[in-house]
Amino acid sequence: MGIYSFWIFDRHCNCIFDREWTLASNSASGTINSKQTEEDAKLLFGMIFSLRSITQKLSKGSVKNDVRSISTGKYRVHTYCTASGLWFVLLSDFKQQSYTQVLQYIYSHIYVKYVSNNLLSPYDFAENESEMRGQGTRKITNRNFISVLESFLAPMVNQ
Amino acid sequence: MSSTHNNNVEGSQSVPQSSLTEQQRAQQQYQIFENSLPKISQSAYQMLLNEMVPMAMGIEKQLSGDIVSSESNVASENGNINSMMKKLKIEENHTVDIMSSHNLINELYKAEEVERERVLARLRNMGFQIGSKLSELLIFSNNPNLQFKEMDLLLIMKFVCRDVWKQIFGRQIDNLKTNHRGTFYLLDYDYRPIQSFSLSEEAKDEELKMIEPFLEIPVGIIRGVLSSLGYSSEEVICLASFIDRPTERPKTTFPKGVSFHVQITMSQ
Repeated sequence: MGIYSFWIFDRHCNCIFDREWTLASNSASGTINSKQTEEDAKLLFGMIFSLRSITQKLSKGSVKNDVRSISTGKYRVHTYCTASGLWFVLLSDFKQQSYTQVLQYIYSHIYVKYVSNNLLSPYDFAENESEMRGQGTRKITNRNFISVLESFLAPMVNQ
Repeated sequence: MSSTHNNNVEGSQSVPQSSLTEQQRAQQQYQIFENSLPKISQSAYQMLLNEMVPMAMGIEKQLSGDIVSSESNVASENGNINSMMKKLKIEENHTVDIMSSHNLINELYKAEEVERERVLARLRNMGFQIGSKLSELLIFSNNPNLQFKEMDLLLIMKFVCRDVWKQIFGRQIDNLKTNHRGTFYLLDYDYRPIQSFSLSEEAKDEELKMIEPFLEIPVGIIRGVLSSLGYSSEEVICLASFIDRPTERPKTTFPKGVSFHVQITMSQ
C-alpha cells in the first residue's frame, strides 16, 4: 500500500472531504465521505492543529516553520496548508519521503478547478455560525471533483 | 507568433512586398492589432460572466421582497419603482446579508415559474446588451474577414459562430446547421463557462436544470448581435437546450453539449 487515506479540512476545522482505501486487494474500494471516519478526522485534525501551534511558537521571527509531515511507527502523515486555511492531509507508508507536490497539485489543479470554480458548489462549507469550529457536516460531493481526484490518486494506492 | 515574425520580415524590407496580397496584409495587420490588445485571465472573466446568474436572482429577491412590503404599505402605491430603487441602493450601502452564489442558484432552481421567467428575462436582457455592443466593437476592429456590405443571414450567423463566439468564449461554435429558410442550429459541444460545474453523482437531472439559466446569457448575446445587424428581437426566436455530445469527440468534464436554436421570421 502506498497511500492509506486522504483528507481535506477547511478553515473552520471541519473535515470537508475524506477518502480511505482500506483494502489492499481492491484499490477502488474503501470509503468516501463516510460517517464512520468522523472521529478519526477529528483526532487527526486535532493532532495536526496542535503540532502546528507548537511549531509556530518554537520558531522565532519571520522564518516559516510549517508542519510538512509527521511520522509514526507505521505510517507518515503529509500535510499541506494553504493561505486560505485549507488543509490537505495524506496518510502514506514510508516509501516516499514527500507528498507535498502531490498535495499542491490536488489543491491547484483539482480543488480550485472543480470546487472553487464550480458555481453550484459552496466555497465555504460552513453556512452559519453553528457549523463552524469543527461542527460542520457538509462535504464535497461533486461528481467531477471525486472522479478526477480518484483517477489521480488511484495509481498511488498500490504503489 | 508567426505574425510578429512576418512583421519583422516586412520591416527589414529585404523581401519583396509583392509576395503579399492586399488581403493577406490586412489579415496581418488585424492579427497584430489583436495581439496588441490587453489580455485578461480567462477564469476571472468566466467567473464574472457566471456571477450574472446569481446576481440576477439576488436582484429578483430584493425586488420581490420590496413588493410585498410596499403592498402592505398603502401610501406607496405610485412610488413603487422609486421605492424599489431606494431599496436597492440601501442594500448596496449596507450589504447586510451576503448571499452565497450557490444558494442563489439553488433558490432559482426552486423558484416558481413566474419568478424564474423574470430572472431568465433579466439575464437575456443583460446578454442582449453585451451582444449589441459587442458587434459594434468587432466591426470597429477592421477585421478583414468581415464584409458587412453584402451580408446575408447565413454570413451573419457565421459571424456569430466565428467572431462573436471567439471574442466571448475563446473558441468557435463547433457546428452550424441551417435549412436556408431562417432556421439555424448552433452547436457548441463544450460550452466553456459551465465546464467545471457539477453536483453529486445522484443529482444529474437537478444539475442540468440548475445550469439551464446560464445558457440565457449566450441566448441574449446572439439576439443582441442579430438585432444590431438588422434583425430586431421580434423577428428572432432563440432557444438553448442540452444535447448529447457525439461519441467521437474527446471527453470533457461536462457531459452535455449545448444547442442554440435560432429561428428568424423572414419578412418576404
